[in-house]
Amino acid sequence: MKRFARILGAALLLLTAACGGGQGAAGGEAGDKPIVVGAIFDLSGPTSDVGVPYAEGVRDYVDWRNRHGGVGGRQIDLRWQDYRYDAPTSEQFYTQFVAAGAVALQGWGTKDTEALRGRVTDDQIPFMSASYAATLGNPEDTPYNFLVALSYSDQMRIALQHIARQSNGKHVEVAVFHHDSPFGTSPLDDGKRYIKDKGLDIGYQTYVMPQSATDYVGELARAKQQGATYLIVQNTSKPAAVLAKNAKDQGIGARLLCLNWCGDEIFIQQAGDAAEGSLGILPFAPPLQAKGNMPDLEAALKAKGRDLDSINLHYTQGWYTMSVMAEGLAEALKSGKEVTGPAVKEALETMGPVTTPVTTVIKFSRQSHEGMRSARVYQVKAGAWEPLSDALTP
Amino acid sequence: MGTATGLYHRSYAEVLALRQTRAEYARLALLGIALAVAPFVLPPVWLRVACQAGIAAIGAIGLNILTGYTGQISLGQGGFLAVGAYTSAIVVTRMDLPTPVGIVAGIALAALVGAFFGLPALRLKGLYLAIATLASQEIVLWVVRNWSAVTGGASSLLVPAPRVLGFPLRSDFAWYWVIVACGAAAALAATNLFRTGIGRAFVAIRDQDIAAQAIGVDIVRYKVLAFAVSSGFVGLAGALTAHYTRTVQWEQFTLDVSVLYVAMIIVGGLGSVAGSIYGAVFMLVLPAGIQQLGTALRDDFPIITEKLPALQHAAFGLVIMLFLIFEPRGLARCWQRVKDYARLWPFRY
Amino acid sequence: MAELIQLSINGLANGSILALAALGFVIIYKATGVINFAQGQFLAIGAYLVYTGVQVFHLPWPLAILLAMAAGVVIGVSVERFVLRPLVGEQAVAVIMVTIGLAAFLQAVVQLIWGTTPLEFPRFIPAGTITLAGATVPVDRLVAIAVAAVLLTAFSWFFRRSRSGIAMRAVADDQQAALVMGISVRRVFALSWALAAVSAVAGGALVANILGVSGDLAAFGLVVFPVVILGGLDSISGTIVGGAVIGLLMTFTARYVGGGLQTVVPFVVVVLVLLTKPYGLFGQARIERV
Repeated sequence: MKRFARILGAALLLLTAACGGGQGAAGGEAGDKPIVVGAIFDLSGPTSDVGVPYAEGVRDYVDWRNRHGGVGGRQIDLRWQDYRYDAPTSEQFYTQFVAAGAVALQGWGTKDTEALRGRVTDDQIPFMSASYAATLGNPEDTPYNFLVALSYSDQMRIALQHIARQSNGKHVEVAVFHHDSPFGTSPLDDGKRYIKDKGLDIGYQTYVMPQSATDYVGELARAKQQGATYLIVQNTSKPAAVLAKNAKDQGIGARLLCLNWCGDEIFIQQAGDAAEGSLGILPFAPPLQAKGNMPDLEAALKAKGRDLDSINLHYTQGWYTMSVMAEGLAEALKSGKEVTGPAVKEALETMGPVTTPVTTVIKFSRQSHEGMRSARVYQVKAGAWEPLSDALTP
Repeated sequence: MGTATGLYHRSYAEVLALRQTRAEYARLALLGIALAVAPFVLPPVWLRVACQAGIAAIGAIGLNILTGYTGQISLGQGGFLAVGAYTSAIVVTRMDLPTPVGIVAGIALAALVGAFFGLPALRLKGLYLAIATLASQEIVLWVVRNWSAVTGGASSLLVPAPRVLGFPLRSDFAWYWVIVACGAAAALAATNLFRTGIGRAFVAIRDQDIAAQAIGVDIVRYKVLAFAVSSGFVGLAGALTAHYTRTVQWEQFTLDVSVLYVAMIIVGGLGSVAGSIYGAVFMLVLPAGIQQLGTALRDDFPIITEKLPALQHAAFGLVIMLFLIFEPRGLARCWQRVKDYARLWPFRY
Repeated sequence: MAELIQLSINGLANGSILALAALGFVIIYKATGVINFAQGQFLAIGAYLVYTGVQVFHLPWPLAILLAMAAGVVIGVSVERFVLRPLVGEQAVAVIMVTIGLAAFLQAVVQLIWGTTPLEFPRFIPAGTITLAGATVPVDRLVAIAVAAVLLTAFSWFFRRSRSGIAMRAVADDQQAALVMGISVRRVFALSWALAAVSAVAGGALVANILGVSGDLAAFGLVVFPVVILGGLDSISGTIVGGAVIGLLMTFTARYVGGGLQTVVPFVVVVLVLLTKPYGLFGQARIERV
């Protein structure tokens, strides 16, 4: 009996220890409480090479904004976590953010955006992702998802338009190399449809780049057989760089055209000479191109003892994406009512055009959550991205 | 009938009972109370971890049946989880059948696929079987990713929340009860399995399969059955995951997940149903705990943020190694030692 | 024809790298009967150590490689002493899992020390291409084939002719008999892990030259299994043949079949081999007794 009582006592002790840990406070109250914004980044997973600078840009923007008056006098409380590109982990953090009263979320990749799509719609929290799949820009399907940059499909359309223009009416073969995932396949069908709708004389074939592959020699041989003179790449910089090097070594003689996730400085650094002459659709201009036009960003960098040479375009991408969200928050506060998810959504849709030094005009509306409708084509010249054309619309 | 000097049974019913002493019944009652109280007191983050641990426990029980009780090493659980999840999701979304039908379909198909991929076990053992199951995992995953017509390929499948009596089952609180009920049923089923002849045949295969064959245990039948039963449990876990998380993506079922399950049963204790549950809870609470700790310390030690995932991963690897080096029979054995100490005190044995 | 040469060289180069990575597996298995799932991580660590030697300490690359090998030996011997020795006699599942745990731990250590961003690896194999019978072939791949061939032949000779090599094979065959003959089993185990680490450093440096140094190097490790299964877990010549076959198979599948099938083909090969000839082309069959 004594033993029994001892066991019972110990169990009750354990039980009380398991309790505790408060529930998150309800969010969105008026007054001087900070506005809670949740953010998930990939800082150590497969896309961390671009995830780390993007996250820095987002966080530095929030720091800078908070130091210069916040939004409508209120501070932004950015709760961020590293989800390592793992969907279940992203859902876990999502639960935490909702419990903490987040009124808006900064997402990252296609995987987490897809995983959380249904929940943000149910919970009514605007979600701004770095995944630019076209399906996320349609308010009828996904009323709470917002794309700041040009969708992958629009990027593909611009790429095909540019290629058609360059070939002056002659037939041209295009090989589309894409990542083995929804991110990779997102623009493929839209590209094919665009060719048909516009009556372009372009041969279009897609090749998957398997995730664990260390070279793409086999696929490039097939592209060569197809007679491709352009290789459009919907992938991140590292695999694109390997593709560029393989293509150069094999003497394929085709020109690479990178969509936004491989059109960056990392691609040039990794591919070296093989990157020279490659084209890219860059919705966010490289920072050195906009030197002198970004006073806030440059001041913030200087305060940290850094300069524009130490960052790449993903930093500016993160910075300005967060700035668009901040504008939305400020707009929501102007109405004087409580800041909630639906209020922020309303504000983003009605706030009108936003200009930034590194992009074309960004504008959301009730009919479309795709922020940008045009982008410039760039080319790698002497190891850097230089603009080749004016802003093209698909 | 447990007394201070030992166990004395006066009827067959008592011999076959699941619990035999008062102390064991008391512990079971305490566990029941703890489980009933938990969803009311746990913070949302931990409630979610509890739900995930419950689902993982079902899968771990299944794997333990195969590896702990039958001695067949398997690195292919990710594939069977995927089969269970996708089948259930497709039955519910494409064929518009109610969720329980989907779950049963998930279990059935996972068992069939498991039996098929268990065929190499008839010719292979130990390391070679592990590699064969690893290959089967990669193949199943490849099929799932490329059979777009059926599985949606690489994009995720969205599953609507199941409805119980008209109410959508969406919150962690509601799911907790469903998961605990399924978990209890699974644990009971597994424990009962090893009170039957089939269970004893499994154990015989693990201990001395050549001798077992010599005394008449049909190795072919029981090995395939072991794979089928184990994959059925794992399929149930997969189906529950599909409906609980409401998205099904192939990345949820990679080799890392298979390795995690093997880690669960090793840390928990091979050949023990309770061990599977301990292991599942431990391996899910550990990363969550480190995560919370890291977030709390983040402002004081900013270096932690970049290093946190690496620390979680290091903890995972370290835990497995330390358990195997110092207590290869896992948490179940640790708990058994605690109980023995209390029971035999002041004597040592 | 030119394309055929290009594809073959590429396939053989990939195969040689796989064979080098597999060499570590085979060495450890030959002597101790343990499969080291952490071999991929050893490759990555080898590459990172060479990187540190050259980029951080500014050593000439041959010296950096030698020092990295020495460090690798220390790591290998410590792993054997502190992680594997306590598990002698435990069941297969336990040994497999401890190396998997070790792999996770080493991956985390690599991330902690060197971070996750890909680093600039010093290229001591010249980039650029040469023309071979009308086909443009990258030089680094040819060098990879040559280096792999040399190393594999050296190890093969070591196991067949040298005293230590024969001692290792004796220990793998029957530990007790080897002990009776005066062979120090402890020393043999330590030696086998040390040699595996050395081959990992060499392999890692070679792979990093071609692919750059990052955590992904370890992911390479998964495709090594089909190579060792095909060739036979305890045969070095099997590794050479297995590597060549798998490398060529993957490249030609990518060219003529496409659709991402080349990633699953090695695993189908594994299943087929395991069902028909489980010990591989050159492996030794084991007899089981009650």
